Amino acid sequence: MALQRGLKPAPALMALAPGLVLLPLGLGLLRDLHAGGAEQIGRFWLAAFQPSLERSLLTHQLTGLQVTALTALLAWSLSSCIGLVLGLLCSTTIVSTLTGLRWPALMLRRCLSPLRSIHEMVWGLLLLQLFGLNGWVAVLAIVLPYSALLARVLADQLDRHEPLALTALRCAGVPAVANLFTSLIPPVATAIRDHIGHRLDCALRSALLLGIFGLGGLGTELMFSMQSLRFRELWSGLWLMALLLALVNLLIRRLSAGHGLLLLLLALPLVTMQWSRSLHHDLSLPRWVDGAPWASSAQWIEGMSQAWIETPWLELVGETLLITLLASGVAIALPPLLRLIAPAPGPGRIVKAGWLLMRLLPAPLTALLLMLASKPTITVAALALGLHHSGVMGLVLEDGLARVDDREHQAMVALGARPRSAWLFGVLSPASKRYLAYAAYRSDVILRDTAVVGLVGGAGLGWQLMEALSSFHWQQVGWLVLVYAALTLLGELLCERLQEMT
Amino acid sequence: MPRRVQPAVMVAGFISALTFGSSVVGCSSTTPSSIQVLKIGAIPDQNPERLNRLYEALSDELLASLDIDVQYVPVSNYAAAVSAFRSGSLDLVWFGGLTGVQARLQTPGATVLAQRDIDAEFTSVFIANGASGLRPITSADQLVQLKGRRMAFGSESSTSGRLMPQFFLGENGITMTDLAGGGPGFSGSHDATIAVVQSGAYEVGALNAQVWQSNVDEGRVDSEKVVVIWRTPPYVDYHWLARPDLDARFGEGFTGRVQNALLSLSPTTERGAVVLELFGAKRFIPAQNKDYSKIEAVGRQLGKIR
Repeated sequence: MALQRGLKPAPALMALAPGLVLLPLGLGLLRDLHAGGAEQIGRFWLAAFQPSLERSLLTHQLTGLQVTALTALLAWSLSSCIGLVLGLLCSTTIVSTLTGLRWPALMLRRCLSPLRSIHEMVWGLLLLQLFGLNGWVAVLAIVLPYSALLARVLADQLDRHEPLALTALRCAGVPAVANLFTSLIPPVATAIRDHIGHRLDCALRSALLLGIFGLGGLGTELMFSMQSLRFRELWSGLWLMALLLALVNLLIRRLSAGHGLLLLLLALPLVTMQWSRSLHHDLSLPRWVDGAPWASSAQWIEGMSQAWIETPWLELVGETLLITLLASGVAIALPPLLRLIAPAPGPGRIVKAGWLLMRLLPAPLTALLLMLASKPTITVAALALGLHHSGVMGLVLEDGLARVDDREHQAMVALGARPRSAWLFGVLSPASKRYLAYAAYRSDVILRDTAVVGLVGGAGLGWQLMEALSSFHWQQVGWLVLVYAALTLLGELLCERLQEMT
Repeated sequence: MPRRVQPAVMVAGFISALTFGSSVVGCSSTTPSSIQVLKIGAIPDQNPERLNRLYEALSDELLASLDIDVQYVPVSNYAAAVSAFRSGSLDLVWFGGLTGVQARLQTPGATVLAQRDIDAEFTSVFIANGASGLRPITSADQLVQLKGRRMAFGSESSTSGRLMPQFFLGENGITMTDLAGGGPGFSGSHDATIAVVQSGAYEVGALNAQVWQSNVDEGRVDSEKVVVIWRTPPYVDYHWLARPDLDARFGEGFTGRVQNALLSLSPTTERGAVVLELFGAKRFIPAQNKDYSKIEAVGRQLGKIR
C-alpha cells in the first residue's frame, strides 16, 4: 500500500532491515552453542598478544608476504586498467551516444557476468591445470573476476542517471566523444577512484586466500599454521598482513588525492617484475602444459549428462541461496546497527577496530573458530561469511559516514531531536544510498565466497565444488560453474529491478 | 588545472608503454634456468615449522647424495599438489595414498619410489567426544552405533582422514547420509579434527593414527574429553612419487639414484636421523605402483577417482 501511494521507506531503514536475519541466526546459534571450544578459542585470542618471533618462521613469512603483495599489486594494476576499458564499453549511455545502439553494451555486460561469478580460488585451481605453478596463475585468477566487477561498477555509475548536461550538449551539437568527456566522466570520477583504491585492499585479501588454497605466498604459510592449530605462528603472519594492509591503505589515501593513483597503477608492472626476480618468484611467461587433465570431448558429453543427473541441484542451490541471504543480511545490517547502538565517536573507534580485525581474519579461519564453539550448521557457515564481509562493509560505511555533510545532523540536534534519531536520519540516511549500492556488489561476492566455507557442515554448491575439484570430476565442475554463473546473472537482474523501483 | 594534468597523463602513458614492453621482453628472455633444479613438494599435513625443517634437511641430504640443486615448494592444498605434479611444476612429491594414485593416473609413467616403514600397514583412528556416550568398539559391525551422529573427517582428499574411514563405514552398512546433518563435516586437517571433536562440535571424528599419537605424546589431547573408540584395519598410505621425465632431464638412471638416496637414509647419520625423525619413521622401504591398487579401487568406489 505504502508503495502504491508513492511513499518509500527511509533509506536508513533499508540499510537496517536486512538485520532481521540476525534473529533466526542468533536463535540458531544460542541453541547450538557450547563451551567445549572455549579453551581453543581463548588460546587463539591470547596468541594474538604473543605471536611467535622465531627467526626462520619470520623469514619464511616475510618472503611469503612479499609474494602475496606482489601478486596483489600486479593483479590490481592489470584488472583496474582492463576493468576501466571494459566498463566504458559496457555502459549503455556511452555506447548509445557513440553508436546509437544499446544492445552491444548490454550484451558485453551479460557476457562478463560469468567471469565475476567464479571465485578467484576456483579460477586459480582451473588455471593451475593449464599453466602449472606459475606466478601468473594467481595474478590471472584475480584479474579475471576483478576486471569484470570493476566494469560492472563503472557501467552502473555511468548509467545510473543520464546527466542533463549530456543531453544539453548533444542538442547544442557537441561531438559525441568530447561531450562524454565533459559531461559524463567527471561526475563519476571520484566514486570510481575510491572504488579502485578499495579494490587494492580486496586484491591483497584475495591473494592471501589464493595462497590458502595452494598458490603460494603468505596464505600458504598461514594455512599450514591454521591446519595444525599453531595460533602463535598464525598470528605472526596475521600481524604482518595487518601491517601490509595498513600501509597500503595509507598509501592509497595519500595517492588518490592527486593523480598519483593513476601513475602507481601504470608503473606497477615494471616494479613487480624486478621485485619477483629478487624473490625467485616465477613470473616468466606461462606456458601451456601438455595434455589436459580432462577426458576427450566424446567422453565429456556423456559424462556431462551423467554428472547432471547425479547432483542434487535443488538442495544445493537452496542451501547456497540461504547461506548467501543470511550472510548478506549480517554483512549489510551489522555495521549500521552497531553504529546506531553506539553513535558516539569513542565507541565508534572501537567498532572500527573490530571491522579491521574481522576483515583481517580469512573466512575459513572465522568458520573454524565458530565451529569450535557451535555445532556445525548452515548458521555457522552463514555467520562466518557474514562476519568477514561485515568487516569490509563496516569500513565502507565508516568512509561514507565521514563524507556526510554534518549540517542536517546538527540542525536536528539543535531542534531537540534525540541523539540516536538525529544520527539515524541526519547521518546514516544520507549515507545509505551509496552504502546500499555497494551492498549489492557485496552480496555478489558473498555468493562466490560460499565456495570458501563449503567445508562447514558440508553444505551447498560451494562444498560440492570443492569435492568435485578434489575428485578431478571436471564434468561436475563444469555444471557447478554454470549454475554459479546463472545465479549471479539472476542476482544482477534482481538488483537492477530493485534499483529501478527505488 | 586540467592543462597541468595532461603532461602527467602523457608521462604515465609513456612509462606504462615502456613498462609493458620491458616486462614482456623480460619474460621471454628469461630462459628456464631452473632446468637442473629438482623441485620437491609434499601434501600439507604437518605444521609449518616442522615442514620447513624437514624439507631443509631433506634438500641438504639429496644435494649431498645426488649432487644437484633441490628446491622445496610448499603447497597448501591436496588438489593443487596433484595438479602441480601433473603439470611438471613439481618433480618429486610426498603424496598420501589417494592423492598419489590421482597424480599417477593423471601423469602416465610416474613411478612410486618409496614409502616409510609405517606406511605399509597404516591405520586411522575413530575418536569420540566423552559427552557423546559412544563406547569403544570391539568389532567393526558395531560401527552402526555411529548412525545419526555428527561426524568429522579431515581434508576431503585425505586417505587416512576421509577415504579409508568412509570405506570401512560403508563396508559395515553406514552410508554418509546416515550421519547427522545428512553428511560428514570436513575440518580441513587431522589436528583440526581432534579440536572439533574435543570441543564437542562433532561427536565423532576419524584421523591419521600417527598424527593422533604424536598429539597424545605432546600432551595436546585432553583424554577426559576425547578418546579413541576404534582403530581401522591396516592399509597402505603415504609414498614418494617421481615424474616420468626425470631420467631424460637429469641423466640416465637418475630416478633409480633418487630412490637409492631415499632408501639409504639411515638414523646412524646425523642428517638422516633428523629427516627420519621428522617423518616419524625408522627408515624408508621400497614401494611399487601396484601396492596402491586397493586404494585406487576404493577411490573409484567412493567417486574420488574418475
